[in-house]
Amino acid sequence: MANVTFPFPFPEHLITLLPEMIVAIMAMFLLLFDVFVSKERKTMTPYLAILTVIVAGIGTTCLRPEQTLVAFYGFFVFDQFAVFAKLLIYAATALAMVISIDHMKDEENVGEYYVLMLFAMLGMMLMVSSNNFITMYLGLELMALSVYVLVGYQRDVLRSNEAALKYFILGALSSCMLLYGVTFLYGVSGSFEFTAMGQGLNAAGSSADFAVLLGLVFLIAGLGFKVSMAPFHMWTPDAYEGAPTPITAFMSVAPKVAGLVVFMRIVVDALPALQHEYTTILTIMAVLSMTVGNLAAIAQRNIKRMLAYSTIGHVGFITLGLIAATPEGYAGILVYMSIYLFMTMGVFAIIILMRREGIQGELLDDFAGLSRVRPGYALAMGLFLFSLGGIPFLAGFWGKYVVFIAAVEAGHLYLVLYALLFSAVGAFYYIRVVKYIYFDEERVAFNFVENRLMQVTVAVTAIAVVVLGVYPEPLLNLCRQALGGLV
Amino acid sequence: MELHNALGFPILTLSIFLPLLGAMGIWLFVRGDNAVRWATLSVAVLTFLVTLPLALQFDTTTAHMQFEEFHQWIPAFNINYQLGVDGISMPFIILTSLLTIICVISAWNCIQSRVKEYMMAFLVLETTLIGVFSALDAMLFYFFWEAMLIPMYLIIGIWGGKNRVYATIKFFLYTLAGSVLMLLAILAMYFKAGETFSMLAFMDYPFDFDWQFWIFIAFFAAFAVKVPMWPVHTWLPDAHTEAPTAGSVILAGILLKMGAYGFLRFSLPMLPDASQYFVPFMVALSLVAIIYISLVAMMQTDMKRLIAYSSIAHMGFVTLGTFMFTQVALEGAVINMISHGFVAAALFLCVGVMYDRLHTREIGDYGGVVNVMPVFAAVMLFFCMANVALPGSSAFIGEIMVLVGTFSADPVGMDMSTKWVAIGAATSIVLSACYTLWMYKRVIMGDLVKDSVKSMQDMTVREFGFFVPLMLLVLWMGFYPLPVLEVMHVSVAHLIEQATTSKLDAAVLAQALPAIDAAHH
Repeated sequence: MANVTFPFPFPEHLITLLPEMIVAIMAMFLLLFDVFVSKERKTMTPYLAILTVIVAGIGTTCLRPEQTLVAFYGFFVFDQFAVFAKLLIYAATALAMVISIDHMKDEENVGEYYVLMLFAMLGMMLMVSSNNFITMYLGLELMALSVYVLVGYQRDVLRSNEAALKYFILGALSSCMLLYGVTFLYGVSGSFEFTAMGQGLNAAGSSADFAVLLGLVFLIAGLGFKVSMAPFHMWTPDAYEGAPTPITAFMSVAPKVAGLVVFMRIVVDALPALQHEYTTILTIMAVLSMTVGNLAAIAQRNIKRMLAYSTIGHVGFITLGLIAATPEGYAGILVYMSIYLFMTMGVFAIIILMRREGIQGELLDDFAGLSRVRPGYALAMGLFLFSLGGIPFLAGFWGKYVVFIAAVEAGHLYLVLYALLFSAVGAFYYIRVVKYIYFDEERVAFNFVENRLMQVTVAVTAIAVVVLGVYPEPLLNLCRQALGGLV
Repeated sequence: MELHNALGFPILTLSIFLPLLGAMGIWLFVRGDNAVRWATLSVAVLTFLVTLPLALQFDTTTAHMQFEEFHQWIPAFNINYQLGVDGISMPFIILTSLLTIICVISAWNCIQSRVKEYMMAFLVLETTLIGVFSALDAMLFYFFWEAMLIPMYLIIGIWGGKNRVYATIKFFLYTLAGSVLMLLAILAMYFKAGETFSMLAFMDYPFDFDWQFWIFIAFFAAFAVKVPMWPVHTWLPDAHTEAPTAGSVILAGILLKMGAYGFLRFSLPMLPDASQYFVPFMVALSLVAIIYISLVAMMQTDMKRLIAYSSIAHMGFVTLGTFMFTQVALEGAVINMISHGFVAAALFLCVGVMYDRLHTREIGDYGGVVNVMPVFAAVMLFFCMANVALPGSSAFIGEIMVLVGTFSADPVGMDMSTKWVAIGAATSIVLSACYTLWMYKRVIMGDLVKDSVKSMQDMTVREFGFFVPLMLLVLWMGFYPLPVLEVMHVSVAHLIEQATTSKLDAAVLAQALPAIDAAHH
């Protein structure tokens, strides 16, 4: 890795951290802003929060380094890879905020909601830029604590409380496991920094096999929890169902991006000596995720629960990129996540639109007959679902394609065969939703309130899904370029 | 790279995307059911006219791909937009654009709900079908193949009969499961043949036997589902029964041909040794389809189910002819496919005509129709006779060619004389007569006893209109099939040569070459 380390900690180091600082300052400012301004002015908070994300995005893009910059004595890394991951996280956060505005406007103290999203985003930004388990853990906890609160945001809704509590208890446990695993690896290698730990583990050789293996297992369990890999997926359906829908959208994309990016950094920098071990563990987890995710999704009647299981399945597919352990595999993960971002945000935007007088609009039945009333939304939803199912000419196909082809190239032919079969199973429950939309008669009257912002979101994501499906070349190149920082 | 394109403009691209553009235009600009119908008809006719030069300017003296186009599409994976047709694929493109017109006309009155979506779905379907038949890049082929599922899923699921949801999901999952394996096979060939998706390169690359064996099985899973071959045929009767008439027409007329076309385009030329190896297996399945499925057809009480089973039996002839490796049998198989496109389409339209009047497809609900619908009875008799392969109909030419070709064939993989196979297949001539004519007798002949039947009106001019071109085509191919045969003659000869030239020696050589090279250095 070509490192350019600055000789002094200030002020150059701060420049690499500029987007993070903007977000942190703005988040704290908005917290105060929301307390002190009049009730009418409070409606500005979401827009200011979105503006913050956009400014951070511009900052990150402008500061984009040619080479890898390692700052703060190896605690913080700023490279193409981190830039790409951050842009994905910004996009997910901004879209989640946009679809929140109307949905959350009647909640109390809604300003804090956006502030918490900013803090969660800040945590993820730290995670993807971390070069050290300490930074990573700080980022991870900042993200996790903010998201726990967001999941339980609707205080008077019982299932929201239940979801938050379950998520919190299991999340805290998984953080412990992660830390526990890291201590073992630290004990053997003598460093928290990823690259140094990799060298330490390599030097330790087979003398510390048991401790290393124990550490590895706990580390992967902890990370697997954050990205909802089976068998550490138990929290996902409850948290997804209970959380306010925009938060479900947010947490099905942004934390997954952050978690997988950190996962990639760790396996590349810290665990190259253990490649055989971690690919074995990940293979088991990938198979379990694909199986559990795709099979359990079939049985769901609530679309948010269904999408929770579908996320588990998708994470199973994405894991193939980690198992391949090649630059193509990692690039594939980035491609998959970018495409997944648009599909998921689009789907959730439509789910949010389904909430109408008296019903939440989360049951599959609530979608019945949509195509007769709103052919535009129906078409967009159909595109998202076929795309999630991996039908070609839509973006979702390419996500699967890139990770599968990387896995085949790395020699995991049987695993890919298994994945292909389960992607066919997955198509079943996606097209079943299309069935409700197109084939069934209207059951609950559709009396939508028009909302320009949501329409734009749906249109943008739908167009992205089609355009990326027909011409994915620029995205593929972008993802390969982004890997320059990693390998 | 030299491109053979006699016309000098991208005619295939135009044929593929004209229907899609038409569908978009109709979605955005056309309001009102009748306007949509006329707009769709004009797009379909225009597309047919655009595809006509493919036939008129076709060079019958070369087996080389014609009207080729090549553009880089996704260089990151070396996926290219490569199109071209030869004597085998060109007739199917014309058939597609022709049958689409008939489908649009046949849906004129019987589709009353959501006309716009229906017409759009058909135009999108036409795009994917022409795409499948003209793609020369394996990924492009796969895309069109898969994309076809979406419009077909909607057509059966929205405008189908009572049990439509079950049928359409069954259709979707069967075909998806098959094509997923096809994708795996294409990827395997991509890596083996040096990171290219060009189908022409796959035909030239010497795959060794193990690769051919597994790739053949994967392709078989995809193509056999589409053909469909016994025992993965069960989605077809369900899909046919529940599809609207025009859906059945396009399903029987074109979609089933995609599977057989896949065998001709992929299995035979790319995997000649595996194809030879699997001859007994394919022959056995074809015979089961011809004999057993014919018996099943006889027992049906629903007219559409009966014709669906008859389709499976006729496709048995196609797969049989495909795997005999003789010029006559293979040409017979292609003629059979085209002819079945006309005849099955017409029979489904006949059922549609009756269904529009009584809203039932049960044979038992009819009887004595000839008394109230004499013109219709004559038309249906004509197509029933064609289904039986009466001399003078196109089906006769196809079946007799397959039988003759089978009788004289001597494929490498067979121990048994193919004469017995031919004799087994020939029973179809009796069996198809049994189920077709028995159905005809029960539905059309007899006394007029049922009140509902008494009220039936004879065909309108429009209904008669879409049978006329089909009748003419059946007769034309029955009496003078030479133009069609000439078109494919050279291409089929080339295909037979590819399919009978073993790749194994070259594969051994290709593996040995690096070693020899290394020894030299």
